[in-house]
Amino acid sequence: MSLTGIMVLGALAVSCTIPSASTFGGSSEATDRANVEFARAIAAVREAEEAGAQEDQLRVLIEKLNSAVWMIDRAERLLLQGDIIEAAAQADRSVEISKGVAMEALKLRDEASQRTYYGKTLTFGMVPVASLLVTVGSYLGWKWWRRREIDRMMRMEIKGLKESEEGI
Amino acid sequence: MPSLSEDMKRTVMIFISSTIVFSTLAYVTVTPRPREQFFQIYVLGETGKAERYYPNNNPNIPVGQVVRWYVGTTNFMGSVQYVVVRLKLGNSTINAPDEANYIPSPAPALMEFRRVLMNNETWEFPLIWAIREISAVGDVINPTVFEINGIRVRNNQVGALRGHNFRIFFELWTLSSQDEQLIFGWGVGQERKVAWLQIWFNATGPVAR
Repeated sequence: MSLTGIMVLGALAVSCTIPSASTFGGSSEATDRANVEFARAIAAVREAEEAGAQEDQLRVLIEKLNSAVWMIDRAERLLLQGDIIEAAAQADRSVEISKGVAMEALKLRDEASQRTYYGKTLTFGMVPVASLLVTVGSYLGWKWWRRREIDRMMRMEIKGLKESEEGI
Repeated sequence: MPSLSEDMKRTVMIFISSTIVFSTLAYVTVTPRPREQFFQIYVLGETGKAERYYPNNNPNIPVGQVVRWYVGTTNFMGSVQYVVVRLKLGNSTINAPDEANYIPSPAPALMEFRRVLMNNETWEFPLIWAIREISAVGDVINPTVFEINGIRVRNNQVGALRGHNFRIFFELWTLSSQDEQLIFGWGVGQERKVAWLQIWFNATGPVAR
């Protein structure tokens, strides 16, 4: 597993137990950049969702985004405490995660778009096929019923007339 | 032009009718149904229910008294949302959020909690807070230091006469998908909605020297 992967998993484990909390006032170029990248990643995930990405795939991205949020919060807190170097490091890690999420989301969006397109094409492509089947079925059914009715009529006997003839 | 036989006319009619019916079915299948889009926000007491918001049911919170609440929010927007629950400290004279004009409270923010939520996901977290320091100027008591979930937060702006009628606002903010800015409440098309809560308390404990 890569170093980034280990860092992401570690952050995920922490973010599951502690809600992201932020005090106010901590801002720097690094955290601003982290916030911008985070907003881009969210937009990319929303696009993937709109394209029809599956829930379990999205859930993985959301967990990563929440770890990015946690890191931004931590970076802002560290800034308030005056630890600029560690704050910048946290913000940079958050940027890395956000960029990774954005890339994965774009890939997911393309896959989902293609899947949705094929699904729609198949659904609407089935319309004439289904119509044709119904039409052929109706036509054959009608023919069969008509022939049966004609046969039935041909086998009819004029019973009432016979009875009256016997009576005479 | 030779006229169509009755059979042919009937067959064409059946084909056209079934095409219309199946096209409608296909459209309904691939088109998502519109649903109401909204958020839910709640605050529960220490038991995880809508009760016991104060220790011993006493809203007078002395210095060092730990108060435990549970804050939750649910995303019913039909899409992934970034939510921020902003905590603000107010008193009886500071304006509450304005629902009609979507204006948040001007009270100073103590802390905010952020999370990305999937559709239909509920996020609930404990909010454990205490007043760590207060100061008094005449009859006005000012809780100067809060500890919220282990983090110390300073407040130098909000005081109250004899420490009565402080309140904590919980405002729900979301990331607008249109301009990628945090907004108070949320937008649904051209519509805007807001959600907020408040809990009152008195800071009447002994003043820290």
